[in-house]
Amino acid sequence: MKNLSKLAALGIAGTLALSLTACGQSTAASSASQSAGSAAAAPAASQSEGSGQIYRTLDEIKSSGEINIGVFSDKNPFGYVDENGEYQGYDIYFANRLAEDLGVKANFVSTEAANRVEYLETGKVDVILANFTVTPERAEAVDFALPYMNVALGVVSRDDDVIETLDDWNADDSIIVISGTTAETYLINNYPDIPLQKFDSYATAKEAFQNGTSVAWANDNTEVIAFALQNSGYTVGIPSLGSADTIAPAVTKGNTTLLDAINSEIEALGEENFFHADYEATLLDTYGADYEDALVVEGGKTAQ
Amino acid sequence: MNWDFIFKYLPLYERAALLTVKIGLSGIFFALLIGLVCAAVRCYQVPFADQLAAAYIELSRNTPLLIQLFFIYYGLPKVGLSIKPEACGVIGLAFLGGSYMAEAFRSGLESVDKIQWESAASLGLNSAQTLGWVILPQALSTSVPALVANVIFLLKETSVFSAISLMDLMFTAKDLIGLYSKTTESLFLLVVFYLIILLPVSVAGSLLERRLRHAGFGD
Repeated sequence: MKNLSKLAALGIAGTLALSLTACGQSTAASSASQSAGSAAAAPAASQSEGSGQIYRTLDEIKSSGEINIGVFSDKNPFGYVDENGEYQGYDIYFANRLAEDLGVKANFVSTEAANRVEYLETGKVDVILANFTVTPERAEAVDFALPYMNVALGVVSRDDDVIETLDDWNADDSIIVISGTTAETYLINNYPDIPLQKFDSYATAKEAFQNGTSVAWANDNTEVIAFALQNSGYTVGIPSLGSADTIAPAVTKGNTTLLDAINSEIEALGEENFFHADYEATLLDTYGADYEDALVVEGGKTAQ
Repeated sequence: MNWDFIFKYLPLYERAALLTVKIGLSGIFFALLIGLVCAAVRCYQVPFADQLAAAYIELSRNTPLLIQLFFIYYGLPKVGLSIKPEACGVIGLAFLGGSYMAEAFRSGLESVDKIQWESAASLGLNSAQTLGWVILPQALSTSVPALVANVIFLLKETSVFSAISLMDLMFTAKDLIGLYSKTTESLFLLVVFYLIILLPVSVAGSLLERRLRHAGFGD
């Protein structure tokens, strides 16, 4: 009996390993079983009709009456859950409008930074609107639509020990980063000697930083500025690090019908200055009016 | 499957596996100690300590490790007690494992018939001799399957360590997926490394079970 169960365990482990390696070739087939645990994602996988296509086209989304949007649930004021359990924030404001204009219901799926690409590649969501910075590496894995926000990196530290440069770093100190963010990639590539303390969500990184786990926290500058404004005792010593980037919606690679729909939506919204209204509704309380023109990208057109 | 990627990040997984094993084994060692003490206290119904151990066992078995780690790592600094992530991992694992080990030991101790004590006494053994030569060998042989299952369970529980920023196997895989989107390769390495750690434990456990079985009485 014992030997039998051991054999069964081995068999299961082996099948698992095999199905994982097979994943690359036939993503459609395996995504059906992968998403079995998530009711929201089930229709995404079931409609692929064995054509090897994991994403849902615009028509498929429309006929299902629901669009699955991957958002943050812990990144105030961009994507977070309020006291009534409702998703709120700059990304959500746009997501709701997008769903409304497509004539479907928005179904929000909470993501973490590190699994945003993954959610698109497995068809668990149709679009990611989780403050997703456009980078060349990510553009190889997903398709980005037109941008709707500007972003750079920033570093926040305590008032009594403000960090203004990353050069001459004391090797005993670490910087907090969130796994899967552009800050992590940037520091790995440009400051490989700085020890990184990695967390898997915004909420835990924030908590650990406030507990004094590390001397600094590197993240999108929008996020660290918001953190310093909302919590006393912290200063953004490095407000802009690395290149100036943009934030854009992302869809599964090859999902052109949805991509085109989002792009024309962003262009159309530019005419009514939608993202300025979005800023005033969601970000004004945090940043004040000073950052409005620096942050907002209207109609998909950046200043440069 | 991109083999270059796999070989490039193999050292990262090795380091993560070492961390997993190091914290896992330390946690299990303390869990065994806690378990033994709690089981003894419960079995001999030491006043007060008995109730305390019972309360601890219920608390620890009925809360997830993730929550326990959150309390230790994110909660304790609020009252001025900062503990390094590695130590948090060991404490969390020992806290969770202690109760499971206690129950495993207790089931072993309770399975030894009362007549064994009486027979030992009639042979003129004192209580320390009775415990060491008669009771414990039989109790342990009953407990071993449960203990081995607990060891494997605790080693697998280390996969929630990413919540407290420990670069264990799970977090390394998640991190690489986030950084380079090489899902297949990262998960393949993850499964392989967990098997490398757990299969020997499982095999050694069943060998141990077979060796100790003869200690039973009346088979």
